[in-house]
Amino acid sequence: MEILAIRDLKKSFGSKEVLRGLDLSVPEHSIFGFIGRNGAGKTTTMKTILGLLQTDSGQIYVMGEKVHFGQTRTNRHIGYLPDVPEYYPYMTPLEYLHFCGEISGMDKTDLVTRSNELLELVGLGQERHRIKGFSRGMKQRLGIAQALLNRPKLLICDEPTSALDPVGRKEILDILLAAKEQTTILFSTHILSDVERICTEAAFLDNGRIAMQGTIAELRSMRPSDGFIIETEQKETASTLIKAFGDLKATERNSLTFHGSKERFFDIMRYIAENRIPVQRIERIEPTLESLFLEVTK
Amino acid sequence: MKTLFALMKKEYLETARTGKLIILVLLFSLFGVMNPAIAKLTPWMMEMFSDSLAESGLTVTNVQVDAFASWTQFFKNIPMALIAFVLIFSDSFTKEYKSGTLLLALTKGLSRYKVVLAKTVLLLFLWTLGYGLCFAVTCGYTAYFWDNGQTDHLLLAAAMWWLFGVWILSLIVLFSSLLQNNTSVTLCTGGMAAFAYLLSVMPKVKTYSPVLLMKTNFLLSGVEEAEAYMEAIVTAAVSTVIFITISILNMNKRQV
Repeated sequence: MEILAIRDLKKSFGSKEVLRGLDLSVPEHSIFGFIGRNGAGKTTTMKTILGLLQTDSGQIYVMGEKVHFGQTRTNRHIGYLPDVPEYYPYMTPLEYLHFCGEISGMDKTDLVTRSNELLELVGLGQERHRIKGFSRGMKQRLGIAQALLNRPKLLICDEPTSALDPVGRKEILDILLAAKEQTTILFSTHILSDVERICTEAAFLDNGRIAMQGTIAELRSMRPSDGFIIETEQKETASTLIKAFGDLKATERNSLTFHGSKERFFDIMRYIAENRIPVQRIERIEPTLESLFLEVTK
Repeated sequence: MKTLFALMKKEYLETARTGKLIILVLLFSLFGVMNPAIAKLTPWMMEMFSDSLAESGLTVTNVQVDAFASWTQFFKNIPMALIAFVLIFSDSFTKEYKSGTLLLALTKGLSRYKVVLAKTVLLLFLWTLGYGLCFAVTCGYTAYFWDNGQTDHLLLAAAMWWLFGVWILSLIVLFSSLLQNNTSVTLCTGGMAAFAYLLSVMPKVKTYSPVLLMKTNFLLSGVEEAEAYMEAIVTAAVSTVIFITISILNMNKRQV
């Protein structure tokens, strides 16, 4: 089932066209990576899903319900974590979660247990201080807690890891992975290693449109292999191979890379076998999301 | 209703924890004490200056002060308290736009009209609290020194001034729903008050200007009767409701 569907979404700010007919479909129980450069329109797309921005044309459906600008009943299905979440600094995390629960009409007893449970999940269970003195990482974690509070069907995170140090990033990614059991996650980013680590599906946003969309495996298979690495046991044999095949390139002491046709590769293999050259490893270079991203957004 | 109550609770917590509530209480109490104090000290001050006044040809005879002088001071000083109130509380909406705190609340499916209502109710509560405090303190001291009964239509005059404050609050809400920053909200509120003042000096329309509600002197001294203020009271009350309604409509269309 589709949790989120966007059809032909267009949005301009003045003369600047940000979204030019965006189509997107997010299936249930996926962690969906929404990838694009800075300024590609990721935040704009997310804000239109939340009904915070008026669209020029196109439709957005959340759980099959149409999103209307301004009066956003569909937001009851959504949990949102903005790129830089801001809270009322004079509240404690628990007070803030209670406030969030009360304005979204949660049941009192459920709210108490749910907020304690979530604060434990994000590691703020023992925090009694006001939000005023919180670090970015702590705010980001509280952000996930408030976003998950009313058990949303769709969790939207806008670059949740961009401004964090490696430890903070890992913590957030782990929390998102844990949240996957309960919800579908759409998260925007330009950090591709994060996508490779936790996402099941991804879409590349370029020039206001989706340039490519699919599961991570599908995306990888869209691009043929980048070549092979051949590592010989001795440096001398590596030099012999380079002499015999001009298109092999030395990368390290006894490691060579090859980019060329299959036939040419089999020639090299035959040469290795015939001359009994001792080889440590032969490995296919897998296409990375990064190379794919660079190609798509060229 | 539960949501609205939660929002109002949050607004109150904000006022209390950011120290604004205590400032409000202190400020309005101070103004309250000042009114009878100035009235009480007037004869003494006149005596102090009598020499220099005599040099310029003015003779000070026995100066009599009464409750009327104290209440005149009250209505003379309360505009300053209202200006301070506007300066302290005009950022109620704009600081939320700026920090993005409202954005998170709205993504939880919160109806926008409730934001406007909660903030309006809290501003109304705070204004009533501050104004009431100032009035009560002045009333207490005036009763102690003189007799409040000497003043005509005191309660009506006080209620009229309160209504003028409410009208100004509705302007803060209106401009907050339209504008992005605190300075423009304050300036536009001031601008509208100035416009209402201009109306109050134009012969044909002056009875309709809410600014008339500030001119309580004639009412207190018994020169004017309550009927003279009816149009201004109705204009202020009706326009307050209209301003709040427009604010809600604006808020519903606002891109945050």
